[in-house]
Amino acid sequence: MSASQFPPPASPSPASSSRSLASPSPSPSPASLSSSSSSMRLWRPAAQRNLRNQWSKLSTFRQQWVAACSGGKSHATSLVNAYLSQTFVPAMKFGALSDMVGIKEKTLKKLSKQQSSYRIKLLSSYKEMVAVVVEMVNVSSSLRCYMKPSSGSIIQFSGSKEDSDDAGDCGGIPVFNFLNVSAFENMAEELVEMFKREVMLKRLLVMELVSLSCEVPQPVKLSWSAELYHGEFDDLSKCSLYSNEPILPRLREDNLGISSVSHTNQPTSEILQIYLTTWLAEINIDSHRVDEILAMAGEEIRLTF
Amino acid sequence: MEAVIRKWQQKFRKAKEEMNKWEALQVGWVSRFSKASSIIQRLEAIQNPGSYGALRCVKGIEDALLQKQMDQLETTLLSMRNDLEEFRGCVLTFEKLRREGSQLLKMEQTKRRIEERIGVKPCIADCLKGLSLLYEMHQSEYHLKMSILSALSCLALKPSPGDLVALQYLVVDQPNILNNEVQHIFDVIFAEDIK
Repeated sequence: MSASQFPPPASPSPASSSRSLASPSPSPSPASLSSSSSSMRLWRPAAQRNLRNQWSKLSTFRQQWVAACSGGKSHATSLVNAYLSQTFVPAMKFGALSDMVGIKEKTLKKLSKQQSSYRIKLLSSYKEMVAVVVEMVNVSSSLRCYMKPSSGSIIQFSGSKEDSDDAGDCGGIPVFNFLNVSAFENMAEELVEMFKREVMLKRLLVMELVSLSCEVPQPVKLSWSAELYHGEFDDLSKCSLYSNEPILPRLREDNLGISSVSHTNQPTSEILQIYLTTWLAEINIDSHRVDEILAMAGEEIRLTF
Repeated sequence: MEAVIRKWQQKFRKAKEEMNKWEALQVGWVSRFSKASSIIQRLEAIQNPGSYGALRCVKGIEDALLQKQMDQLETTLLSMRNDLEEFRGCVLTFEKLRREGSQLLKMEQTKRRIEERIGVKPCIADCLKGLSLLYEMHQSEYHLKMSILSALSCLALKPSPGDLVALQYLVVDQPNILNNEVQHIFDVIFAEDIK
């Protein structure tokens, strides 16, 4: 099913390229690029090198995501455990230990210290995950390869557009065998979208988890529009996950944004269990599909990710 | 005679290898069982809209989470089924060793020789008995594991925490494989190596 989702490739090379050379080019891109076989010959290796680099990065970022996510999971679990223990302490019987002065207070203090250290760790895992998504977004928008007109007689290529007529895809010709640049872009976008959605769901969980507190009265909880770490909103903006406030979490099929996020006061242990399960489940990331996309791109690029 | 015993001991070395393989499989089996069982224990909470807290604002989260967990469960049960195949492979090896033992026995002419004992070396009867026991233990344990897996699949549809705990004990304990007895078998066969 997968391949059919992408726009049909320009048509298999090299036959097609010679055909498009013979006939007046039907492609909308600059004639200077698509009609000249020499520039095409020069463009291909540069574009191939670029795609090879960027896709290797994508697959590395995916592994970094997995690591950050599993680190976050263990911090979240420890945080929840410390919080739940703290809620149980007042009702606990200390037996022989109850003679010790201030044993309950000390236990409570220790547990809340633990919580603040896990809170910091959880936030830093979240920060790592956002950083990974920022990098992924960068890569997925750097798949095109543009001509550098300013370089004199030697034709050079770059990742930034310098000529407004240059689409950076050499008229949509296949870069390796079958897929053109926009096919690669579509695959990358599909992949990155999953992580973008997941990071916002994680944000909601982080917000809930770092707000856990046994204090009475409950301290004011973080609101959805508060930064979780310094510079978070800059990072989210780079991924277009921010407009006035962070984009609200949503799932794949559900394109309608929800209206607002509200906190749960004193979540029960059952709710906390669901939070942890949700963290672990990575609902938005279809890992089979991710593997499939990486395999598809890898096969074309002739690299195994 | 010593050469004959050496042949038998060779079979026990092979059996030992097979037991190590079984042990390694058991480690994976236990962890997969725990994984499946914790998913099953969560299924009720997952299907209760009241347990979503702030996640309620994410439309469709219950279905998506349930779907993900069911997929996970299915994958885990599938790998457990593959584990069972591997366990079966071990059982077949034990069976083969015992069969080969019976063949060796047929070559002996007299009953006296079967019970003949030289120094601390085992007699042929000890050897045959040991191979049979190893085979029977592992075969029974394999059958138990098959039942555990089908019980687990049933519990996925109708969770019952008590049953899961009971199954967990059976999974970890491997009641059909008696470690003392196994140790004793190997002690008798390799008595000369005990220092």
